[in-house]
Amino acid sequence: MKMTKIYEGAYQWIMYGRDPYKPDNIIDTNQYVVRTDKRCLLIDPGGIELFAPMLAAVLHHAPVDEITDLFASHQDPDIISSLGLWDQALPHAKLHAAALWEGFLRHFGCESIQYVPIADNGGVINLGSVELQIVPAHYLHSSANFNIYDPQAKIFFSGDIGAALEAPGKPVFVENFDAHVEKMRYFHQRWMPSNQAKRAWIDRVRGLDIDILAPQHGRMFKGDDVKRFLDWFEALQVGIAV
Amino acid sequence: MFRKSDTEPTMQVSPSKSQFVAVASIAAELSAVMEVAKEISLAAANAKAIAFRAGEKAKGFQPITDFINELAKETIALVNDINEHALKLYRLTVKEHRMAEACKRFEKVAASAESALHAASLRESLQQTRQRHADCHREFSRHVSELLSQLADVMHPARAARVIAANSRIEASQAGEYLQSLQAVAESVDHAAQIIHDKVHKCRGALSMIGTAA
Ligand SMILES: [Fe+2]
Ligand SMILES: [Fe+2]
Repeated sequence: MKMTKIYEGAYQWIMYGRDPYKPDNIIDTNQYVVRTDKRCLLIDPGGIELFAPMLAAVLHHAPVDEITDLFASHQDPDIISSLGLWDQALPHAKLHAAALWEGFLRHFGCESIQYVPIADNGGVINLGSVELQIVPAHYLHSSANFNIYDPQAKIFFSGDIGAALEAPGKPVFVENFDAHVEKMRYFHQRWMPSNQAKRAWIDRVRGLDIDILAPQHGRMFKGDDVKRFLDWFEALQVGIAV
Repeated sequence: MFRKSDTEPTMQVSPSKSQFVAVASIAAELSAVMEVAKEISLAAANAKAIAFRAGEKAKGFQPITDFINELAKETIALVNDINEHALKLYRLTVKEHRMAEACKRFEKVAASAESALHAASLRESLQQTRQRHADCHREFSRHVSELLSQLADVMHPARAARVIAANSRIEASQAGEYLQSLQAVAESVDHAAQIIHDKVHKCRGALSMIGTAA
């Protein structure tokens, strides 16, 4: 699993992805970790197949008992089907996920981990030295869907928004935005159901100061590419299957 | 049909997978037992009505119908109990499967994270999971043997029902024009008791397989 440090301050943001041992027929995902001095948050920790490589990778940065928090942006299997295994590995951890999805996510196995339900209007995850904002992103693509904003690191975790489907082993940042667009277009048009939801999200996110926009698949956007992405997404018609 | 040759090889390859199937099939057999027990109780009510109409001619038959009814009730109560147990067993199977899976993955992590700074921190949770897995396994085995003895209990009313059915036939033979309908009652009780006996036997077979595989 490739590890890329994307913020280093009083705490760290690390991106894990491009797992070379991932089976070919499952979608490649990016996992993010926020590491403070005593705690560790795993953002969209991934599917069952990713549990072992992911935990092995995190052990480079944190001991098991300091992995205290998990966040699931939504209910998809590529996001959180590993929950049943984390539940065994981290019995004292918390899972921050949509209140709306609780009864569904528990199907993955969540007996020891504490389910912290997120209300529709979002909330915060307090890790002691940093407080992260949970930003609503409903219907993009999931009915109850959240992003994470770190105002200090200026990192915005956008879940499936900004996702691109790429060949394995590609760089972690967008280098040529125009060339990147084709890898995102169909994904957004087909998976995102609502132009109205998209507009509401754009309005909200435009108001935030963002250095890195970090999606759950494909490459991250840095600097001016963040604005380019927002403009491109604003102009895109979504929900094309009907 | 539950044939040994069908289940044994898979049992060896993947005990947990066939465990799921075995526990699920027990639940299926039990719900069939329940249906049959209800049929018996219906047959008992029916027999009572006939015996009442037959009056003197079916005098010996009347206490038998009450007895059949009692047996049906007893069977239903026992099966209800067993069902609860079987459900518990199913939950334990799921739990055990999850723990076995977790142990397997943790070992994978331990192997691939050897060089990691915090690799040692995994040792404790691996040990705890192994412990929990062992506890769960023990609990599972205990439930299997409890369930086995409960299933043995259900065999008793079923056996008694067959004896009663035989008596019913004798009594029916003295019931004149009611002979046929009372004989039919005896037949259906006998048939039902036999089905229950077979189904419970199958359950026990499936369970003892789990017991030995576990
Ligand atoms: Fe998704
Ligand atoms: Fe996704």
